[in-house]
Amino acid sequence: MSETLMTISNVSKSFGDVNALRSISLEIKSGEVVGLVGSNGAGKTTLLRLMSGVYKPTSGTVCLDDGTPVDKMRQRLGVVPESTGLYSRLTAWENIRYHSRMHGVSDKDSWSRTSRFAKHLDMLENLGRHTKGFSRGMRQKTALLRALAHGPSVLLLDEPTAGLDITSARTVRALVKQLRDEGGTIVYSTHHLAEAQQVCDRIIIIHNGDIQADGSPDVLLKDTETTTLEEAYVSLTQEKARPRNDDQDNEGRFTKWWRRLFTPRVPRYIEGDDSSE
Amino acid sequence: MNNGSFKRVKAIAKKEVVEFTRDWRTIIAIIVIPILMFPLLFIMFPLLLESEAAELNSIVVDVVIQSDEVPDSLLGQLNDTSILVYEENLTERTPLSNPGEDITRLRSLSIDAILRIEQRDDIWYYAIIHISTSESSNEARSRIIDAIIAWESNETERIISDQGLDVNTTLNPVRWDGEISQGDVATQGEQAGMVLSLFIPLVLAVWTFSSAIQPSIDMTAGERERGTLEALLSLPCTRNELLFGKWLGVATITGVGVLLQIFGLLFAIGYLASSSIIGIPDLSLEATALIILSIMLFAVMVVALELALAMRSHSVKEAGSILGPAIILIIFPALFTQVINLDGVENFWFAVPVVNVLLALRELLMDRVIVEHIAIWFGTSLLYALMAAYYAAKQFGREDIVTSLS
Repeated sequence: MSETLMTISNVSKSFGDVNALRSISLEIKSGEVVGLVGSNGAGKTTLLRLMSGVYKPTSGTVCLDDGTPVDKMRQRLGVVPESTGLYSRLTAWENIRYHSRMHGVSDKDSWSRTSRFAKHLDMLENLGRHTKGFSRGMRQKTALLRALAHGPSVLLLDEPTAGLDITSARTVRALVKQLRDEGGTIVYSTHHLAEAQQVCDRIIIIHNGDIQADGSPDVLLKDTETTTLEEAYVSLTQEKARPRNDDQDNEGRFTKWWRRLFTPRVPRYIEGDDSSE
Repeated sequence: MNNGSFKRVKAIAKKEVVEFTRDWRTIIAIIVIPILMFPLLFIMFPLLLESEAAELNSIVVDVVIQSDEVPDSLLGQLNDTSILVYEENLTERTPLSNPGEDITRLRSLSIDAILRIEQRDDIWYYAIIHISTSESSNEARSRIIDAIIAWESNETERIISDQGLDVNTTLNPVRWDGEISQGDVATQGEQAGMVLSLFIPLVLAVWTFSSAIQPSIDMTAGERERGTLEALLSLPCTRNELLFGKWLGVATITGVGVLLQIFGLLFAIGYLASSSIIGIPDLSLEATALIILSIMLFAVMVVALELALAMRSHSVKEAGSILGPAIILIIFPALFTQVINLDGVENFWFAVPVVNVLLALRELLMDRVIVEHIAIWFGTSLLYALMAAYYAAKQFGREDIVTSLS
């Protein structure tokens, strides 16, 4: 039986009055690829940020296998945020090296791992280029290489194929499969059920801050008595998705009031009042 | 700070400096402009003044002299300069300075000035009518005054001689003995220090603040906007290490800019300035060390404050609209400090934020090392720097800094 690498116990996360996540508990086992699936604003990114230690839980704990909170052991994590977070005036290798140095990994070790994975991603020739001119796919690949360069125990990927062309998305998925085959542990957030089914051993469906389902694709189909994952997802998330209004809405009251002061009201015909017709 | 922490701070600062210097616009703003600003000012400004003066000297001005009887000796003085003289009879007499009908001619610039002169009893009365918003009219007035002063001097000497008196002893019965400059016990270096103390603190304060704005915004709100902060925050470094690394990066860039500007200023003063008023100040070693200390404390406070304000902002635009006007917080106290009399200055001034460092710089540039004042400005500056750093640490500790507009 696989050992538990990360334990999330009764974790809730609130931003002001909004409960982004409600009392979530789950375990990430060594060697599994876990897919976080949910609509926009469901809480996937918030959960990934809690796992990476960027956010602190409002209640509950996120710990690694030795019981250490994740924010104290970030060197064991590799993170690829949705925005990739590359510095455009640095080369791809400088971006990777910067993060490796922050992880306390020597340049030699970092290069050894980077060059190995760069070959698989067809990025070796581009490591010396500034990332300013990179396509979305190249940026995503560089961010992946950066997250892998220090040899993390757990890889956290936030929508790694979002915005990628078909070929780049296939390459990224192939790398994830390769890492899984080598025994890597990956948490993979995505909108796409087909992708999750293709890549993940286990799928967690999050909706409005709650876990609606957690299991292998076969288990999900069996539990929901459906034939496709899409049907399973729909049956599990019938409640209307909440509007995205979490941590990004952190403006001051005066700022909001001022903006509204200079915003005209929505015309009645846009609101759907057709009495004038 | 342990070894790992130090390495991370160093890595952050190094990356910030490397990334910043790869933008050629930054190099121009931080290195080229500061180093060339004062030398160019010292070369260009005298050249411009000389060229303007030569241009004014070369112009011929049209002057109308209104008088019933123009003294020949005055006419001689006027003709020695580039004045085209037109003589007219005097019609406006009460008083001579009343422009009367001539206002139209002067306002239309058909002539540059009018000299009215008449003798009543033994006294010559005169008035110059001109329009002060015209350069050539001002020049005409200036040349007429020079001619009248020379003519008056000759007239005075003639009258004294006619009375059988000695001109020199009558006109100069009280005289300074020796060189006037010998009476001032301040050395040339101290005098230079006093002159420099009137603008060096202002330049240092404004430049430190303004040159830290761009890197502060780029390294905080810029990272937030570009979405690079989340990846950085997921690394095994504390928020304080991140703040310290970024502070070090901004301080390095700003420090280089300010140092180059001072170097450019001293080069301009030492090699280009022709004036005897301005020069290299005489500074003791302790005054020099205290100047560096005061600037460092000021920089700690300013950079930490700017990083904190920029980190609070959601975007580069928002940060710019906060930090741009915030320069008033430096300019007003800096201008205010210039008018405070340093002789007998009250101690409390050395505790007022910003004013304390600027006053300290003024005093130290005049090589005045007053322990009581140093204790106050050092203590308060340290306190303000720590408060600014604490505020910055609080801003960097906020959870919402991870969110980006992009």
